[in-house]
Amino acid sequence: MIERAHWSAAALGAIATCCLLGAGCTGVKHARTAGPVPTPVPAETMVVTEPSAMSAPEVAAIPQPPVTAPAAAVPPVTAAPRVAAAEPPTSTPPAPKVAIPRPPVMAAAPAPPALPKATTVPAPQVVPKASPVPVPRVVPKAAQVQAPVASQGTPAPLDLASLGTRLKQTRAIGVLTKLSLKNQVDDLLEKFRAYHRQQGTATLPELRRSYDMLMLKVLSLLQDGDPPLARDIVQSRAAIWGILADPRKFNEASLMAGATT
Amino acid sequence: MTTLRRSLALVAATMISYSGTPLAAEDAASDVTVARDLTAVIALQGLPCGQVVSATQQGEDDYVASCQDGNRYRVFVNAEGRVVVEKLD
Repeated sequence: MIERAHWSAAALGAIATCCLLGAGCTGVKHARTAGPVPTPVPAETMVVTEPSAMSAPEVAAIPQPPVTAPAAAVPPVTAAPRVAAAEPPTSTPPAPKVAIPRPPVMAAAPAPPALPKATTVPAPQVVPKASPVPVPRVVPKAAQVQAPVASQGTPAPLDLASLGTRLKQTRAIGVLTKLSLKNQVDDLLEKFRAYHRQQGTATLPELRRSYDMLMLKVLSLLQDGDPPLARDIVQSRAAIWGILADPRKFNEASLMAGATT
Repeated sequence: MTTLRRSLALVAATMISYSGTPLAAEDAASDVTVARDLTAVIALQGLPCGQVVSATQQGEDDYVASCQDGNRYRVFVNAEGRVVVEKLD
C-alpha cells in the first residue's frame, strides 16, 4: 500500500508537472502568436499610412480628373464637385505645404504600395512629379549652403608639416609612388624657386597649372585609400598656393633654400 | 606534452606561412600591392598602361611591369633617388 501510495504520489507529481509544463508551453505559444500578430499589424498600418499620406497630397494636387474617369458616369459628377469643393479652400494654401512634404516621401517606398490600391493612374503620375521637383531644389540649396562654409574653412586647416608627415605615413600610397610624387614636388618647387629668383622661364599661370595637376594626382591617389588626408589637402589647397605664389611667404616657409617636406 | 607542443608548433607554422603569403605581394609600409604601386607610378609619369597585370622584381626597387594594354615598363630608382620609368620593347 505504501509503495502504491508512493507510486500514486509520484504519478500525480509527474502528471502535475506535465500539466504545468503543458500549460506553460501553451502559454508561451500564445504569447508568441500574440507577439507576431501585433508586429505585422503596425507594419501594415505604417505602410498604409504612408501611401495614404502620399496619395492624399497627390490626389489633392492633380489626379482628380483621372479618379472621376474610372468611376461610373453619374457618380463621378457628384464626386468631382465634392472634391472640388473640398479643394478650393485647401488648394491655394496647401500647394506649398504639399510641395514641402513631398521631398521626404519621394523615395521608392511610396510607389509600390500605391500600385496595389490605385493601380494605374495615381502612382506613376505622382512618382515622376514628386521625384524631379524636390531633388533639384534640395541639392542646390545644400550646395549653396555648404560652399561658403567650405570656402571660409579653407585657410584654417593648413599645416604643411603635418600634411607632409601624413603623406609620408599614409598607407594608401606605395613607396615607389610616394618617391615619384616627391620627385615631382621637388621639380615643381625648383620651378618656383627659379620663378621667384626671376631666373626661370615658367610664368605664374603655368606654375599654377602644374600645381593643379600635381594636386589632382595626389588627390586621385588618396581619395580612395585615405579620404581624411585627401580632404585636408583639398582644404589646404588654396593656402598652399598662397605660400608658393607669394615670394615673402615662400621664403618664410624656408622653401627657397630647398627644404621640402 | 611533446605531442601538444608539436601540434602547437605545427599550427603556428601553418598560420605564419599562410599569413606571409599575401604579405609577400604587398609593400610592408603600405596597404598597396606592388602591381598597384607600379600602376600609380606609371600613371604619374603620364605613360599609357591601364593597369599593371604582372610585375617581376629584378632587384631592389627595380621592377619590370607588364600592363593591361600590352606595354611593358622598367620601373626603378636611380642613383639620384628618382623613380624612372623606361618603356621596354
